[in-house]
Amino acid sequence: MILASTTYETVLLVLKLAFLVLLYLFIWRIVRTAGRDLRLPQESFILSPALAGGGIAQTVDSGRLVVVQSSILEVGEEFDLDSTALTVGRGAQNDVSIEGDEFASARHVRVEPRRDGVWVSDAGSTNGTFVNGVRIDRPRKLVQGDVVRVGETELRFET
Amino acid sequence: MTNRNRELIYLTVAGVLTGVGFASVYIARKSEISAASLTYAAFFFALYLVAHLVARYTVPHADPYLLPIAALLTAVGLTEIYRLGPSDAFKQGLWVVIGVAVFAVALLGLRRDYRLLENYKYLFGLGAIALLFMPLLPVIGQTINGSRLWVHVGGLQFQPGELGKIALIVFLAAYLREKREVLAQGRLKDWGPLLVIWGGAMLVLFATGDLGSALLYYGIFLALLYAATARVAYVAVAIGLFLAGSIVVYKGTPHVRERVTNWLHPWTTHPVYCPFSGTQALRQDCASYQEVQSLYSIGHGGFGGTGLGQGTFTSSSGRQIIPYLNTDFIYSALAQELGLIGAAALLMVYMVFVLRGFRVSLFAADGFSKLLAAGLTFGFALQTFIIVGGILRVIPLTGITLPLVSYGGSSIISNFIVVAGLMLVSNRANADVEGAR
Repeated sequence: MILASTTYETVLLVLKLAFLVLLYLFIWRIVRTAGRDLRLPQESFILSPALAGGGIAQTVDSGRLVVVQSSILEVGEEFDLDSTALTVGRGAQNDVSIEGDEFASARHVRVEPRRDGVWVSDAGSTNGTFVNGVRIDRPRKLVQGDVVRVGETELRFET
Repeated sequence: MTNRNRELIYLTVAGVLTGVGFASVYIARKSEISAASLTYAAFFFALYLVAHLVARYTVPHADPYLLPIAALLTAVGLTEIYRLGPSDAFKQGLWVVIGVAVFAVALLGLRRDYRLLENYKYLFGLGAIALLFMPLLPVIGQTINGSRLWVHVGGLQFQPGELGKIALIVFLAAYLREKREVLAQGRLKDWGPLLVIWGGAMLVLFATGDLGSALLYYGIFLALLYAATARVAYVAVAIGLFLAGSIVVYKGTPHVRERVTNWLHPWTTHPVYCPFSGTQALRQDCASYQEVQSLYSIGHGGFGGTGLGQGTFTSSSGRQIIPYLNTDFIYSALAQELGLIGAAALLMVYMVFVLRGFRVSLFAADGFSKLLAAGLTFGFALQTFIIVGGILRVIPLTGITLPLVSYGGSSIISNFIVVAGLMLVSNRANADVEGAR
Protein backbone atom coordinates (compact mmCIF):
# COMPACT_ATOMS: atom_id res chain seq x y z
CA MET A 1 0.00 0.00 0.00
CA ILE A 2 2.82 2.36 0.92
CA LEU A 3 4.67 1.31 -2.22
CA ALA A 4 1.60 2.00 -4.36
CA SER A 5 1.25 5.47 -2.93
CA THR A 6 4.92 6.24 -3.61
CA THR A 7 4.75 5.15 -7.25
CA TYR A 8 1.61 7.22 -7.62
CA GLU A 9 3.42 10.27 -6.26
CA THR A 10 6.42 9.58 -8.49
CA VAL A 11 4.31 9.28 -11.61
CA LEU A 12 2.64 12.60 -10.86
CA LEU A 13 6.00 14.24 -10.21
CA VAL A 14 7.37 12.89 -13.48
CA LEU A 15 4.31 14.15 -15.37
CA LYS A 16 4.62 17.57 -13.76
CA LEU A 17 8.29 17.83 -14.69
CA ALA A 18 7.63 16.52 -18.20
CA PHE A 19 4.93 19.14 -18.69
CA LEU A 20 7.14 22.01 -17.58
CA VAL A 21 10.20 20.80 -19.48
CA LEU A 22 8.21 20.36 -22.69
CA LEU A 23 6.65 23.80 -22.25
CA TYR A 24 10.04 25.45 -21.91
CA LEU A 25 11.46 23.43 -24.77
CA PHE A 26 8.60 24.59 -26.98
CA ILE A 27 9.24 28.25 -26.11
CA TRP A 28 13.02 27.96 -26.40
CA ARG A 29 12.86 26.35 -29.84
CA ILE A 30 10.55 29.03 -31.22
CA VAL A 31 12.58 31.89 -29.78
CA ARG A 32 15.78 30.35 -31.12
CA THR A 33 14.49 30.02 -34.67
CA ALA A 34 12.92 33.46 -34.42
CA GLY A 35 16.36 34.82 -33.53
CA ARG A 36 17.74 33.48 -36.78
CA ASP A 37 15.59 35.48 -39.13
CA LEU A 38 16.45 38.89 -37.83
CA ARG A 39 16.97 40.22 -41.33
CA LEU A 40 13.77 42.20 -41.13
CA PRO A 41 12.69 44.41 -43.99
CA GLN A 42 11.90 47.17 -41.53
CA GLU A 43 12.82 47.90 -37.92
CA SER A 44 9.43 49.14 -36.81
CA PHE A 45 5.84 48.37 -37.65
CA ILE A 46 5.09 52.06 -37.80
CA LEU A 47 4.16 53.03 -41.34
CA SER A 48 7.15 54.81 -42.85
CA PRO A 49 7.47 57.62 -40.30
CA ALA A 50 9.28 59.96 -42.66
CA LEU A 51 6.23 60.02 -44.89
CA ALA A 52 3.66 60.42 -42.21
CA GLY A 53 5.70 63.17 -40.60
CA GLY A 54 3.00 65.76 -41.14
CA GLY A 55 2.73 69.25 -42.59
CA ILE A 56 5.46 69.14 -45.14
CA ALA A 57 4.51 66.63 -47.77
CA GLN A 58 7.59 64.56 -48.37
CA THR A 59 6.70 62.49 -51.36
CA VAL A 60 9.03 59.92 -52.74
CA ASP A 61 9.24 59.83 -56.46
CA SER A 62 8.93 56.18 -57.33
CA GLY A 63 8.07 56.72 -60.97
CA ARG A 64 4.81 57.08 -62.85
CA LEU A 65 2.31 55.31 -65.03
CA VAL A 66 1.71 56.76 -68.48
CA VAL A 67 -1.43 55.92 -70.41
CA VAL A 68 -0.50 54.24 -73.68
CA GLN A 69 -3.86 53.08 -74.86
CA SER A 70 -7.32 53.59 -73.43
CA SER A 71 -10.89 54.22 -74.42
CA ILE A 72 -11.52 56.36 -71.34
CA LEU A 73 -8.30 58.02 -70.26
CA GLU A 74 -6.40 60.41 -72.43
CA VAL A 75 -3.33 58.88 -74.03
CA GLY A 76 -0.22 60.40 -72.47
CA GLU A 77 -1.88 61.16 -69.17
CA GLU A 78 0.45 60.47 -66.23
CA PHE A 79 -0.19 59.09 -62.77
CA ASP A 80 2.61 59.72 -60.29
CA LEU A 81 3.52 57.04 -57.80
CA ASP A 82 4.50 58.24 -54.37
CA SER A 83 4.69 56.22 -51.19
CA THR A 84 1.27 54.61 -51.25
CA ALA A 85 -0.16 51.96 -53.48
CA LEU A 86 -2.07 52.99 -56.57
CA THR A 87 -5.15 51.01 -57.49
CA VAL A 88 -6.54 50.69 -60.98
CA GLY A 89 -10.04 49.49 -61.71
CA ARG A 90 -13.52 50.25 -62.96
CA GLY A 91 -14.80 51.51 -59.60
CA ALA A 92 -14.73 55.21 -58.77
CA GLN A 93 -12.82 54.54 -55.54
CA ASN A 94 -9.67 53.63 -57.47
CA ASP A 95 -6.78 56.03 -57.81
CA VAL A 96 -6.89 55.39 -61.53
CA SER A 97 -10.55 54.94 -62.36
CA ILE A 98 -11.31 53.45 -65.75
CA GLU A 99 -15.06 53.52 -65.53
CA GLY A 100 -16.49 52.19 -68.77
CA ASP A 101 -13.73 49.73 -69.54
CA GLU A 102 -15.95 46.66 -69.83
CA PHE A 103 -13.09 44.21 -69.42
CA ALA A 104 -11.74 45.64 -66.20
CA SER A 105 -12.86 44.56 -62.74
CA ALA A 106 -14.11 46.99 -60.10
CA ARG A 107 -10.77 46.73 -58.35
CA HIS A 108 -8.36 45.29 -60.79
CA VAL A 109 -4.73 45.85 -59.99
CA ARG A 110 -2.46 47.44 -57.40
CA VAL A 111 0.81 49.12 -58.18
CA GLU A 112 2.80 49.51 -55.00
CA PRO A 113 6.16 51.08 -54.41
CA ARG A 114 8.22 49.04 -51.98
CA ARG A 115 11.76 49.32 -50.72
CA ASP A 116 13.20 47.38 -53.58
CA GLY A 117 11.16 48.89 -56.39
CA VAL A 118 7.65 49.14 -57.75
CA TRP A 119 5.56 45.98 -57.68
CA VAL A 120 2.41 45.20 -59.56
CA SER A 121 -0.12 42.69 -58.22
CA ASP A 122 -3.49 41.57 -59.45
CA ALA A 123 -6.25 42.42 -56.98
CA GLY A 124 -8.34 39.38 -57.82
CA SER A 125 -9.64 40.56 -61.18
CA THR A 126 -11.78 38.46 -63.50
CA ASN A 127 -9.82 38.92 -66.70
CA GLY A 128 -6.35 39.13 -65.23
CA THR A 129 -3.53 41.62 -65.47
CA PHE A 130 -0.88 41.43 -68.16
CA VAL A 131 2.65 42.76 -68.02
CA ASN A 132 4.23 43.02 -71.46
CA GLY A 133 1.52 40.68 -72.70
CA VAL A 134 2.09 37.96 -70.12
CA ARG A 135 -0.59 37.28 -67.55
CA ILE A 136 0.75 37.57 -64.00
CA ASP A 137 -0.20 35.11 -61.29
CA ARG A 138 1.93 36.58 -58.50
CA PRO A 139 3.27 40.05 -57.70
CA ARG A 140 5.90 41.18 -60.12
CA LYS A 141 8.51 43.89 -60.00
CA LEU A 142 8.23 46.50 -62.73
CA VAL A 143 11.14 47.85 -64.69
CA GLN A 144 11.33 50.96 -66.83
CA GLY A 145 9.16 50.61 -69.92
CA ASP A 146 7.01 47.69 -68.75
CA VAL A 147 3.48 47.89 -70.09
CA VAL A 148 0.67 46.87 -67.75
CA ARG A 149 -2.63 45.96 -69.43
CA VAL A 150 -5.84 46.16 -67.44
CA GLY A 151 -8.94 45.30 -69.47
CA GLU A 152 -8.53 47.44 -72.58
CA THR A 153 -6.31 49.99 -70.90
CA GLU A 154 -2.55 49.96 -71.21
CA LEU A 155 -0.22 51.81 -68.89
CA ARG A 156 3.52 52.15 -69.26
CA PHE A 157 5.76 52.29 -66.20
CA GLU A 158 8.42 54.95 -66.29
CA THR A 159 10.99 55.97 -63.72
CA MET B 1 12.26 22.69 -43.87
CA THR B 2 9.09 24.25 -45.15
CA ASN B 3 6.95 26.37 -42.89
CA ARG B 4 4.11 23.83 -42.88
CA ASN B 5 6.32 20.88 -41.92
CA ARG B 6 7.69 22.94 -39.08
CA GLU B 7 4.14 23.74 -38.03
CA LEU B 8 3.33 20.03 -37.94
CA ILE B 9 6.30 19.31 -35.67
CA TYR B 10 5.35 22.02 -33.20
CA LEU B 11 1.73 20.88 -33.29
CA THR B 12 2.89 17.40 -32.36
CA VAL B 13 4.79 18.82 -29.39
CA ALA B 14 1.65 20.72 -28.35
CA GLY B 15 -0.29 17.45 -28.73
CA VAL B 16 2.16 15.58 -26.47
CA LEU B 17 1.89 18.40 -23.91
CA THR B 18 -1.87 18.05 -23.95
CA GLY B 19 -1.51 14.31 -23.39
CA VAL B 20 0.83 14.82 -20.44
CA GLY B 21 -1.50 17.42 -18.93
CA PHE B 22 -4.58 15.24 -19.22
CA ALA B 23 -2.72 12.20 -17.92
CA SER B 24 -1.67 14.16 -14.86
CA VAL B 25 -5.21 15.38 -14.21
CA TYR B 26 -6.54 11.86 -14.74
CA ILE B 27 -4.08 10.15 -12.37
CA ALA B 28 -4.49 12.79 -9.68
CA ARG B 29 -8.27 12.73 -9.80
CA LYS B 30 -8.95 9.11 -10.72
CA SER B 31 -11.60 8.86 -8.08
CA GLU B 32 -13.73 11.46 -9.84
CA ILE B 33 -13.10 11.11 -13.56
CA SER B 34 -12.78 8.32 -16.06
CA ALA B 35 -10.03 7.26 -18.40
CA ALA B 36 -12.15 8.68 -21.20
CA SER B 37 -10.49 11.99 -20.41
CA LEU B 38 -7.42 10.77 -22.26
CA THR B 39 -9.38 10.68 -25.48
CA TYR B 40 -9.65 14.45 -25.16
CA ALA B 41 -5.96 14.81 -25.94
CA ALA B 42 -6.20 12.56 -29.00
CA PHE B 43 -9.33 14.26 -30.25
CA PHE B 44 -7.72 17.62 -29.74
CA PHE B 45 -4.65 16.66 -31.71
CA ALA B 46 -6.84 15.37 -34.57
CA LEU B 47 -8.74 18.66 -34.60
CA TYR B 48 -5.58 20.69 -34.96
CA LEU B 49 -4.35 18.32 -37.62
CA VAL B 50 -7.42 19.29 -39.65
CA ALA B 51 -6.63 22.98 -39.06
CA HIS B 52 -3.07 22.28 -40.18
CA LEU B 53 -4.25 20.61 -43.40
CA VAL B 54 -6.48 23.57 -44.19
CA ALA B 55 -3.50 25.86 -43.61
CA ARG B 56 -1.37 23.67 -45.87
CA TYR B 57 -3.89 24.08 -48.66
CA THR B 58 -4.80 27.75 -48.22
CA VAL B 59 -1.82 29.56 -46.69
CA PRO B 60 1.30 27.47 -47.45
CA HIS B 61 3.72 30.31 -46.69
CA ALA B 62 2.17 31.50 -43.43
CA ASP B 63 4.07 31.76 -40.17
CA PRO B 64 4.56 28.23 -38.78
CA TYR B 65 4.36 29.05 -35.07
CA LEU B 66 1.02 30.82 -34.74
CA LEU B 67 -1.18 27.72 -34.99
CA PRO B 68 0.91 25.56 -32.60
CA ILE B 69 0.95 28.36 -30.03
CA ALA B 70 -2.82 28.73 -30.33
CA ALA B 71 -3.14 24.95 -29.99
CA LEU B 72 -0.96 24.94 -26.90
CA LEU B 73 -2.91 27.73 -25.24
CA THR B 74 -6.31 26.18 -25.92
CA ALA B 75 -4.96 22.83 -24.72
CA VAL B 76 -3.66 24.29 -21.46
CA GLY B 77 -6.99 26.05 -20.99
CA LEU B 78 -9.03 22.95 -21.75
CA THR B 79 -6.91 20.83 -19.40
CA GLU B 80 -7.47 23.26 -16.55
CA ILE B 81 -11.17 23.67 -17.32
CA TYR B 82 -11.48 19.90 -17.42
CA ARG B 83 -9.77 19.66 -14.09
CA LEU B 84 -12.15 22.22 -12.58
CA GLY B 85 -15.30 20.73 -14.06
CA PRO B 86 -15.53 18.04 -16.75
CA SER B 87 -18.96 19.20 -17.94
CA ASP B 88 -17.66 22.69 -18.74
CA ALA B 89 -14.73 21.14 -20.56
CA PHE B 90 -17.11 19.33 -22.88
CA LYS B 91 -18.77 22.63 -23.82
CA GLN B 92 -15.41 24.34 -24.16
CA GLY B 93 -14.27 21.49 -26.40
CA LEU B 94 -17.28 22.15 -28.62
CA TRP B 95 -16.40 25.84 -28.76
CA VAL B 96 -12.86 25.00 -29.80
CA VAL B 97 -14.27 22.83 -32.60
CA ILE B 98 -16.42 25.76 -33.73
CA GLY B 99 -13.40 28.07 -33.36
CA VAL B 100 -11.30 25.85 -35.60
CA ALA B 101 -14.18 25.69 -38.09
CA VAL B 102 -14.38 29.50 -38.17
CA PHE B 103 -10.59 29.59 -38.58
CA ALA B 104 -10.84 27.21 -41.56
CA VAL B 105 -13.70 29.17 -43.16
CA ALA B 106 -11.78 32.43 -42.75
CA LEU B 107 -8.70 30.94 -44.42
CA LEU B 108 -10.69 29.36 -47.24
CA GLY B 109 -12.82 32.43 -47.86
CA LEU B 110 -10.04 34.99 -47.82
CA ARG B 111 -7.13 33.01 -49.20
CA ARG B 112 -7.12 34.84 -52.53
CA ASP B 113 -6.99 38.34 -51.14
CA TYR B 114 -7.97 39.32 -47.62
CA ARG B 115 -7.32 42.94 -48.59
CA LEU B 116 -10.79 42.98 -50.11
CA LEU B 117 -11.92 43.65 -46.54
CA GLU B 118 -10.47 47.11 -46.93
CA ASN B 119 -13.31 47.98 -49.32
CA TYR B 120 -15.92 47.31 -46.65
CA LYS B 121 -14.31 49.36 -43.92
CA TYR B 122 -17.36 51.43 -42.98
CA LEU B 123 -19.43 48.26 -42.80
CA PHE B 124 -16.92 46.94 -40.27
CA GLY B 125 -17.01 50.23 -38.36
CA LEU B 126 -20.79 50.17 -38.12
CA GLY B 127 -20.71 46.45 -37.43
CA ALA B 128 -18.40 47.02 -34.48
CA ILE B 129 -20.82 49.53 -32.98
CA ALA B 130 -23.85 47.34 -33.66
CA LEU B 131 -22.16 44.41 -31.95
CA LEU B 132 -21.33 46.55 -28.96
CA PHE B 133 -24.91 47.85 -28.79
CA MET B 134 -26.51 44.39 -28.88
CA PRO B 135 -26.32 43.64 -25.15
CA LEU B 136 -28.12 46.91 -24.41
CA LEU B 137 -31.17 45.81 -26.37
CA PRO B 138 -34.14 44.68 -24.30
CA VAL B 139 -35.16 40.99 -24.27
CA ILE B 140 -31.93 39.55 -25.66
CA GLY B 141 -29.51 41.64 -23.56
CA GLN B 142 -28.41 40.25 -20.21
CA THR B 143 -26.62 41.67 -17.21
CA ILE B 144 -24.17 39.33 -15.52
CA ASN B 145 -21.97 40.38 -12.64
CA GLY B 146 -22.68 44.12 -12.97
CA SER B 147 -21.78 44.32 -16.65
CA ARG B 148 -24.30 44.24 -19.45
CA LEU B 149 -22.32 42.51 -22.16
CA TRP B 150 -24.17 39.32 -22.88
CA VAL B 151 -26.69 38.44 -25.52
CA HIS B 152 -29.06 35.59 -24.85
CA VAL B 153 -30.71 33.95 -27.85
CA GLY B 154 -32.42 30.62 -27.37
CA GLY B 155 -30.19 28.58 -25.08
CA LEU B 156 -27.04 30.33 -26.26
CA GLN B 157 -25.17 33.07 -24.50
CA PHE B 158 -22.84 35.24 -26.45
CA GLN B 159 -20.57 38.22 -25.86
CA PRO B 160 -20.80 40.20 -29.10
CA GLY B 161 -18.15 42.64 -27.90
CA GLU B 162 -15.48 40.03 -28.55
CA LEU B 163 -16.31 40.02 -32.26
CA GLY B 164 -16.78 43.78 -32.16
CA LYS B 165 -13.10 44.02 -31.28
CA ILE B 166 -12.09 42.32 -34.54
CA ALA B 167 -14.47 44.47 -36.60
CA LEU B 168 -13.04 47.59 -35.00
CA ILE B 169 -9.47 46.54 -35.79
CA VAL B 170 -10.34 45.91 -39.46
CA PHE B 171 -12.08 49.28 -39.68
CA LEU B 172 -9.24 51.16 -38.00
CA ALA B 173 -6.59 49.47 -40.13
CA ALA B 174 -8.41 50.29 -43.38
CA TYR B 175 -9.41 53.80 -42.41
CA LEU B 176 -6.03 54.80 -40.99
CA ARG B 177 -4.23 53.33 -44.00
CA GLU B 178 -6.24 55.55 -46.30
CA LYS B 179 -6.18 58.71 -44.21
CA ARG B 180 -2.88 58.51 -42.41
CA GLU B 181 -1.18 61.28 -44.31
CA VAL B 182 -4.01 63.75 -43.85
CA LEU B 183 -4.44 62.66 -40.24
CA ALA B 184 -0.78 63.31 -39.60
CA GLN B 185 -1.37 66.87 -40.75
CA GLY B 186 -4.22 67.23 -38.30
CA ARG B 187 -7.16 68.47 -40.41
CA LEU B 188 -10.29 68.26 -38.31
CA LYS B 189 -12.59 67.18 -41.14
CA ASP B 190 -10.73 63.90 -41.68
CA TRP B 191 -11.04 63.06 -38.02
CA GLY B 192 -14.82 63.08 -38.27
CA PRO B 193 -15.71 59.46 -39.03
CA LEU B 194 -13.00 58.22 -36.71
CA LEU B 195 -14.24 60.30 -33.80
CA VAL B 196 -17.89 59.42 -34.46
CA ILE B 197 -17.22 55.70 -34.49
CA TRP B 198 -14.85 56.00 -31.59
CA GLY B 199 -17.20 58.16 -29.52
CA GLY B 200 -20.04 55.73 -30.20
CA ALA B 201 -17.94 52.79 -29.07
CA MET B 202 -16.92 54.61 -25.90
CA LEU B 203 -20.49 55.57 -25.04
CA VAL B 204 -21.70 52.02 -25.43
CA LEU B 205 -18.90 50.75 -23.29
CA PHE B 206 -19.65 53.13 -20.46
CA ALA B 207 -23.31 52.21 -20.75
CA THR B 208 -22.49 48.51 -20.45
CA GLY B 209 -20.10 49.10 -17.55
CA ASP B 210 -17.48 46.87 -19.10
CA LEU B 211 -14.24 48.59 -18.18
CA GLY B 212 -11.82 45.91 -19.27
CA SER B 213 -13.12 46.13 -22.82
CA ALA B 214 -13.14 49.94 -22.73
CA LEU B 215 -9.45 49.88 -21.86
CA LEU B 216 -8.80 47.28 -24.54
CA TYR B 217 -10.56 49.24 -27.30
CA TYR B 218 -8.90 52.47 -26.32
CA GLY B 219 -5.50 50.80 -26.30
CA ILE B 220 -6.02 49.29 -29.75
CA PHE B 221 -7.18 52.64 -31.10
CA LEU B 222 -4.12 54.41 -29.72
CA ALA B 223 -1.65 51.78 -30.91
CA LEU B 224 -3.01 51.86 -34.45
CA LEU B 225 -3.18 55.64 -34.52
CA TYR B 226 0.46 55.76 -33.53
CA ALA B 227 1.50 53.06 -35.98
CA ALA B 228 -0.25 54.93 -38.81
CA THR B 229 0.83 58.49 -38.07
CA ALA B 230 4.00 58.14 -35.96
CA ARG B 231 2.89 61.20 -34.00
CA VAL B 232 3.78 60.92 -30.32
CA ALA B 233 1.75 64.05 -29.65
CA TYR B 234 -1.49 62.22 -30.50
CA VAL B 235 -0.67 59.46 -28.08
CA ALA B 236 0.12 62.00 -25.38
CA VAL B 237 -3.17 63.85 -25.95
CA ALA B 238 -5.12 60.58 -26.01
CA ILE B 239 -3.54 59.39 -22.77
CA GLY B 240 -4.38 62.75 -21.22
CA LEU B 241 -7.99 62.35 -22.38
CA PHE B 242 -8.04 58.84 -21.00
CA LEU B 243 -6.81 59.99 -17.58
CA ALA B 244 -9.37 62.81 -17.50
CA GLY B 245 -12.09 60.35 -18.50
CA SER B 246 -10.95 57.87 -15.87
CA ILE B 247 -11.24 60.48 -13.13
CA VAL B 248 -14.77 61.37 -14.26
CA VAL B 249 -15.76 57.71 -14.37
CA TYR B 250 -14.09 57.08 -11.02
CA LYS B 251 -16.07 59.89 -9.39
CA GLY B 252 -19.31 59.05 -11.17
CA THR B 253 -19.57 55.27 -10.96
CA PRO B 254 -19.57 53.39 -7.64
CA HIS B 255 -18.80 50.19 -9.58
CA VAL B 256 -15.44 51.61 -10.65
CA ARG B 257 -14.63 53.17 -7.28
CA GLU B 258 -15.13 49.80 -5.68
CA ARG B 259 -12.76 48.13 -8.14
CA VAL B 260 -10.03 50.67 -7.44
CA THR B 261 -10.44 50.34 -3.67
CA ASN B 262 -10.24 46.55 -3.92
CA TRP B 263 -7.10 46.93 -5.94
CA LEU B 264 -5.29 49.34 -3.63
CA HIS B 265 -6.53 48.02 -0.28
CA PRO B 266 -7.75 44.44 -0.61
CA TRP B 267 -7.11 43.69 3.06
CA THR B 268 -8.53 45.58 6.03
CA THR B 269 -7.84 45.03 9.71
CA HIS B 270 -11.17 46.35 10.90
CA PRO B 271 -14.67 45.72 9.52
CA VAL B 272 -15.86 48.06 6.77
CA TYR B 273 -19.25 48.42 5.09
CA CYS B 274 -19.98 45.46 2.84
CA PRO B 275 -22.11 46.37 -0.19
CA PHE B 276 -23.25 42.78 -0.78
CA SER B 277 -24.71 41.97 2.61
CA GLY B 278 -25.20 45.53 3.85
CA THR B 279 -23.41 44.72 7.08
CA GLN B 280 -19.91 45.35 8.44
CA ALA B 281 -17.21 42.88 7.43
CA LEU B 282 -13.52 42.69 6.68
CA ARG B 283 -13.01 43.64 3.04
CA GLN B 284 -11.18 40.40 2.24
CA ASP B 285 -14.31 38.54 3.32
CA CYS B 286 -16.58 40.68 1.18
CA ALA B 287 -15.81 43.04 -1.72
CA SER B 288 -12.25 41.90 -2.45
CA TYR B 289 -12.88 38.25 -1.57
CA GLN B 290 -12.29 37.06 -5.13
CA GLU B 291 -9.01 38.92 -5.59
CA VAL B 292 -7.65 37.90 -2.21
CA GLN B 293 -8.55 34.23 -2.60
CA SER B 294 -6.97 34.30 -6.05
CA LEU B 295 -3.75 35.69 -4.56
CA TYR B 296 -3.77 32.94 -1.92
CA SER B 297 -4.28 30.43 -4.72
CA ILE B 298 -1.26 31.75 -6.61
CA GLY B 299 0.80 31.81 -3.41
CA HIS B 300 -0.12 28.22 -2.64
CA GLY B 301 1.46 27.12 -5.90
CA GLY B 302 4.93 28.32 -4.93
CA PHE B 303 7.77 27.86 -7.41
CA GLY B 304 6.98 24.45 -8.85
CA GLY B 305 3.21 24.35 -8.39
CA THR B 306 1.11 21.57 -6.99
CA GLY B 307 1.02 19.73 -10.32
CA LEU B 308 -1.94 19.54 -12.68
CA GLY B 309 -4.95 18.06 -10.97
CA GLN B 310 -3.56 18.45 -7.46
CA GLY B 311 -4.37 22.05 -6.62
CA THR B 312 -6.90 23.12 -4.00
CA PHE B 313 -9.89 24.97 -5.37
CA THR B 314 -12.66 23.82 -3.12
CA SER B 315 -13.14 24.35 0.60
CA SER B 316 -13.52 21.38 2.93
CA SER B 317 -17.28 21.55 2.37
CA GLY B 318 -16.75 20.99 -1.37
CA ARG B 319 -17.75 24.51 -2.39
CA GLN B 320 -15.62 26.24 -5.05
CA ILE B 321 -13.60 28.94 -3.30
CA ILE B 322 -13.12 31.44 -6.13
CA PRO B 323 -16.16 32.40 -8.22
CA TYR B 324 -15.58 32.62 -12.00
CA LEU B 325 -12.49 30.48 -11.64
CA ASN B 326 -12.53 29.07 -15.17
CA THR B 327 -13.18 32.39 -16.96
CA ASP B 328 -11.71 35.51 -15.37
CA PHE B 329 -9.54 33.72 -12.82
CA ILE B 330 -8.19 30.81 -14.82
CA TYR B 331 -4.71 32.29 -14.64
CA SER B 332 -4.67 32.03 -10.85
CA ALA B 333 -5.82 28.40 -11.06
CA LEU B 334 -3.02 27.66 -13.53
CA ALA B 335 -0.52 29.56 -11.39
CA GLN B 336 -1.36 27.31 -8.44
CA GLU B 337 -1.02 24.05 -10.33
CA LEU B 338 1.96 25.00 -12.53
CA GLY B 339 3.71 27.25 -10.02
CA LEU B 340 5.77 30.34 -10.76
CA ILE B 341 7.81 28.35 -13.27
CA GLY B 342 4.75 27.29 -15.25
CA ALA B 343 2.86 30.58 -14.89
CA ALA B 344 5.91 32.43 -16.19
CA ALA B 345 6.20 29.96 -19.07
CA LEU B 346 2.58 30.62 -19.95
CA LEU B 347 3.25 34.35 -20.13
CA MET B 348 6.27 33.61 -22.31
CA VAL B 349 4.06 31.62 -24.67
CA TYR B 350 1.88 34.72 -25.01
CA MET B 351 4.99 36.83 -25.60
CA VAL B 352 6.21 34.49 -28.33
CA PHE B 353 2.82 34.75 -30.02
CA VAL B 354 3.00 38.54 -29.86
CA LEU B 355 6.58 38.44 -31.15
CA ARG B 356 5.46 36.42 -34.18
CA GLY B 357 2.50 38.72 -34.69
CA PHE B 358 4.61 41.85 -34.82
CA ARG B 359 7.03 40.08 -37.10
CA VAL B 360 4.13 39.43 -39.48
CA SER B 361 3.40 43.15 -39.38
CA LEU B 362 7.04 44.00 -40.16
CA PHE B 363 7.10 41.71 -43.17
CA ALA B 364 3.78 42.80 -44.63
CA ALA B 365 4.24 44.86 -47.77
CA ASP B 366 1.26 47.23 -47.71
CA GLY B 367 -0.10 49.59 -45.12
CA PHE B 368 -3.42 47.84 -44.54
CA SER B 369 -1.75 44.48 -43.88
CA LYS B 370 0.78 46.08 -41.57
CA LEU B 371 -1.85 47.86 -39.53
CA LEU B 372 -4.15 44.85 -39.48
CA ALA B 373 -1.43 42.53 -38.19
CA ALA B 374 -0.21 45.10 -35.67
CA GLY B 375 -3.77 45.75 -34.45
CA LEU B 376 -4.69 42.09 -34.05
CA THR B 377 -1.43 41.37 -32.24
CA PHE B 378 -1.65 44.39 -30.00
CA GLY B 379 -5.25 43.61 -29.06
CA PHE B 380 -4.25 40.08 -28.14
CA ALA B 381 -1.31 41.31 -26.05
CA LEU B 382 -3.25 44.04 -24.29
CA GLN B 383 -6.12 41.71 -23.41
CA THR B 384 -3.66 39.30 -21.83
CA PHE B 385 -2.05 42.13 -19.91
CA ILE B 386 -5.37 43.50 -18.65
CA ILE B 387 -6.53 40.21 -17.16
CA VAL B 388 -3.19 38.88 -15.92
CA GLY B 389 -2.25 42.34 -14.61
CA GLY B 390 -5.61 42.47 -12.84
CA ILE B 391 -5.12 39.09 -11.21
CA LEU B 392 -1.56 39.89 -10.13
CA ARG B 393 -2.63 43.33 -8.80
CA VAL B 394 -0.60 45.37 -11.27
CA ILE B 395 -3.76 47.21 -12.38
CA PRO B 396 -7.35 47.18 -11.04
CA LEU B 397 -9.10 43.93 -11.84
CA THR B 398 -11.61 43.96 -14.68
CA GLY B 399 -13.43 40.91 -15.87
CA ILE B 400 -12.11 39.97 -19.29
CA THR B 401 -11.08 36.62 -20.71
CA LEU B 402 -7.55 35.29 -21.01
CA PRO B 403 -7.23 34.80 -24.80
CA LEU B 404 -7.64 31.17 -25.92
CA VAL B 405 -7.35 29.82 -22.36
CA SER B 406 -10.46 31.06 -20.54
CA TYR B 407 -13.76 29.25 -20.70
CA GLY B 408 -16.12 31.01 -23.12
CA GLY B 409 -17.26 30.59 -26.69
CA SER B 410 -17.16 34.18 -27.95
CA SER B 411 -13.62 34.64 -26.75
CA ILE B 412 -12.41 31.39 -28.33
CA ILE B 413 -14.03 32.19 -31.68
CA SER B 414 -12.79 35.76 -31.86
CA ASN B 415 -9.25 34.72 -30.98
CA PHE B 416 -9.27 32.06 -33.67
CA ILE B 417 -10.18 34.83 -36.09
CA VAL B 418 -7.13 36.73 -34.83
CA VAL B 419 -4.93 33.71 -35.57
CA ALA B 420 -6.51 33.29 -39.02
CA GLY B 421 -5.99 36.99 -39.79
CA LEU B 422 -2.32 36.89 -38.83
CA MET B 423 -1.76 33.75 -40.89
CA LEU B 424 -3.39 35.29 -43.94
CA VAL B 425 -1.24 38.41 -43.69
CA SER B 426 1.96 36.43 -43.13
CA ASN B 427 1.15 34.07 -46.00
CA ARG B 428 1.02 36.96 -48.44
CA ALA B 429 4.11 38.65 -47.04
CA ASN B 430 6.20 35.47 -47.06
CA ALA B 431 4.96 34.47 -50.52
CA ASP B 432 6.09 37.84 -51.87
CA VAL B 433 9.50 37.48 -50.28
CA GLU B 434 9.90 33.98 -51.71
CA GLY B 435 8.58 35.04 -55.10
CA ALA B 436 11.14 37.82 -55.31
CA ARG B 437 14.06 35.47 -54.80
